[in-house]
Amino acid sequence: MKKQTNLSIDFCGVKFENPFCLSSSPVSNNAEMCARAFEAGWGGIVYKTLALESKFKIVMPSPRLNTYNYAGKRMVGLQNVEQITDRPIKDNIKDLTWLKKSYPNKILISSIMGYEDNDWVELAKMSEDAGADMLELNFSCPQMAHPAAGHRVGQDFQAVEAFTAVVKKASNLPVIAKMTPNITDMVPVSLSAKRGGADAISAINTIKAISGIDIENYSPMPNIHGSSAATGFSGPAVKPIALRFISDLYNSKSLGLPLSGIGGIETWVDALHFILLGSTNLQVTTAVLRYGYRIVEDMIEGLTDFMIARNISNLDELVGLASRKLTDPSNFNTRYQVVSIIDESKCIGCGQCYLSCHDGANQAIIFDSVLRKASVDEQRCVGCMLCSIVCPVINCITKKEVDTQITKHAAIF
Amino acid sequence: MDNPAKIQRIEQFQNMRVPLNMQAALVESNRCLLCYDAPCSAACPAGTDPAKFIRQIKFHNYKGAARTIRNNNILGGTCAHICPVEQLCEKECSIKALEDPINIAGLQQFAVDYGITNSLESTTPSKKTKGKIAIIGGGPAGLACASSLLNKDFSATIFEREDKAGGVPIYNIPEFRLPEQVITNDINNLLNQGVEFMFNSPIEDKESISKLLSQGFDSVFISTGLSVPITLDLLQGYDNAYDYNSFLRQHKFGQKRGILQGKIIAVIGGGSVAIDSAVTAKACGAKKVYLITLEQLHELPAEKEEIELAHMMGIIIKSGSQIIKVKESGNHISSLSGVEVEPIESRQTNPSNTVIIDGTQFSINVDLVIQAIGTKPGSEISEFDNNLQTDENGIIQVADNYQTNIPFIFAAGDVVNGGKTVVQAIGEGKKAATSIINFLSKRTTI
Repeated sequence: MKKQTNLSIDFCGVKFENPFCLSSSPVSNNAEMCARAFEAGWGGIVYKTLALESKFKIVMPSPRLNTYNYAGKRMVGLQNVEQITDRPIKDNIKDLTWLKKSYPNKILISSIMGYEDNDWVELAKMSEDAGADMLELNFSCPQMAHPAAGHRVGQDFQAVEAFTAVVKKASNLPVIAKMTPNITDMVPVSLSAKRGGADAISAINTIKAISGIDIENYSPMPNIHGSSAATGFSGPAVKPIALRFISDLYNSKSLGLPLSGIGGIETWVDALHFILLGSTNLQVTTAVLRYGYRIVEDMIEGLTDFMIARNISNLDELVGLASRKLTDPSNFNTRYQVVSIIDESKCIGCGQCYLSCHDGANQAIIFDSVLRKASVDEQRCVGCMLCSIVCPVINCITKKEVDTQITKHAAIF
Repeated sequence: MDNPAKIQRIEQFQNMRVPLNMQAALVESNRCLLCYDAPCSAACPAGTDPAKFIRQIKFHNYKGAARTIRNNNILGGTCAHICPVEQLCEKECSIKALEDPINIAGLQQFAVDYGITNSLESTTPSKKTKGKIAIIGGGPAGLACASSLLNKDFSATIFEREDKAGGVPIYNIPEFRLPEQVITNDINNLLNQGVEFMFNSPIEDKESISKLLSQGFDSVFISTGLSVPITLDLLQGYDNAYDYNSFLRQHKFGQKRGILQGKIIAVIGGGSVAIDSAVTAKACGAKKVYLITLEQLHELPAEKEEIELAHMMGIIIKSGSQIIKVKESGNHISSLSGVEVEPIESRQTNPSNTVIIDGTQFSINVDLVIQAIGTKPGSEISEFDNNLQTDENGIIQVADNYQTNIPFIFAAGDVVNGGKTVVQAIGEGKKAATSIINFLSKRTTI
């Protein structure tokens, strides 16, 4: 019998109806927007990061976005110079209060950023009083105009630990530390957050990047009145990097904190990737910038169907399942070798496998120009599978294992 | 583009195809599989090399794409508009096994236009240090031959009996399929190469060719095409029976909109030219246009896209039909009578291969009849030289290298192949140029 499936999760003792949250960004800028997101089905919202305008006045640069297009496809990645909220703190607190009152079953996470201890304390208290369910500490905005904030804090282990501790002391709410990927290894700094008392880690914030250059006038983009900067990059292009950080955190034996995964999630499949590598909770912005709040419907439906098909009743059952299979490359079993096989009946004769193998691999594909069919020279094939990657036909090129005890394989000299 | 918008453009005699913008061209080029030894390129009779220019577009080398097209096909812009791609490059497109073929014509037009709007450098002028070639007929074969010769520093003089170069494309293809500016742009590239045009210069007497030799020409290339439309004896002598050539040319350069307001037109023929005539008549305001074809609907020689266009324009296709009688008032046809026929053997359409289906007689009142049932060489061919070998229809006989039985005379295009496509004529013109160059180089070394 099929088990009952639901997408609800327990994240730091907080119950979410589904793991899908808006991340702290323009998509969670005010109450009206957040209300629409809740109505669309999002399980939680990390509200646009609060700060005290009395300490530092935020003025957004303009234009503030640049798209990274690839092969005629728009927004494969997105660079932004957006900062934290530029709205007055009292307006934002009013919005948070109204949101929690209007949507008591949805989860409201207040993202905060201070510049010194007192700021963190004040913001944490105001958020808690407004009814926030959790706090997220923004240690990771890569383009804060303030010299001692954002990812500069996130790269400073002591600051991370100290600010976390201050917040934990001031508030009873569960605390998530949001980490920057602009660092070699995210584990040590996450351990600092843990020492400070953090209950969870969210990652990744955006990656410092330069998404393009206007070659007419040699200006990096976005061109802000003649200047630019390496700033936060997000979207589908960053997902593989985000996944790596999530798995590092999940596989760290000493960390052991629940994770909120962020970075290029657009579909339920992306979401599942993050879950399988160790995320319990998920956050999304760039896909919403492009397609709107409605995309959560497809995430919910798609993930539910996957779970039903697999007879999985609880999302927890999936968390980290793939991370456990990650190892150091030095541990690979190199006696296991494969070669490509081409299904001639499926081959449409484009010859892409031939070109790629010829110029980029081991010259192991034979192309019959008359019949326009490709075949594999198994003696030369090193089993890299580049051919199957470039082949436009699904399942035309597959692999088969070679018994390296008996057969000489081109990859083993 | 939706149909009403397309119809509106046709009725205004504007290019009915909206060109791809850069984003659309990029997306389309990125669908291309960039085949090894690409079958699309192998399928182009003119050697335009679509695989290369699509790759160039994909890798943002737009000017390179424009250069490839121009270097390979001097009528690259023209071909982008009128080539029957679904029979040629797009037919062979590998991706067809998975999805729609790449819009090669659209990408070609994009690249040619890009070259024009982004000041692609002019073509290189010929040094004209090699031989001098006279080209008779300034249609696609003649223009392509001239370009290839100029490229190799020969000089080329085109004798054209009309007052414009371009041949069939310029006189017989309606503006909504091929704007005159497109051919003009292509021909400008040829002018920059240094071609010389002698307009209003028919070559039609026996002495002409020997005169050319005495003027210092080393070789003669005949590309006079098929200039005489075939007409039905039944319709001979009526003042409202036109051939396609006189009809299309009148409406290409003359009055257009509304000129056939309220009229009923019958077009006889089932090929591209017939459909061009029918659509033109409709665009000129005709109330009703019939297309009467001997072929069955599924065997029409016209391109699928053209047949769809005829349907879209509301043209009534009476396929598998033959006109057998004319009702006249004076020398004016007032109605056509016909019958439905079926072929005795399928896929062989000529009146002798059909049988009349009993009880299918029909009669259509008409104001104008346009005949588009084929074309043949002009009588000038036999006048060139008594010894020039032709078949009984006046088609010039050539060897594989387009050399006639008179060694210094070469010929290609419709006058040799009996009437094929523009792109075929271009390919033949290019190959003939190579043969002429080979011929002349051998001669000088001897």
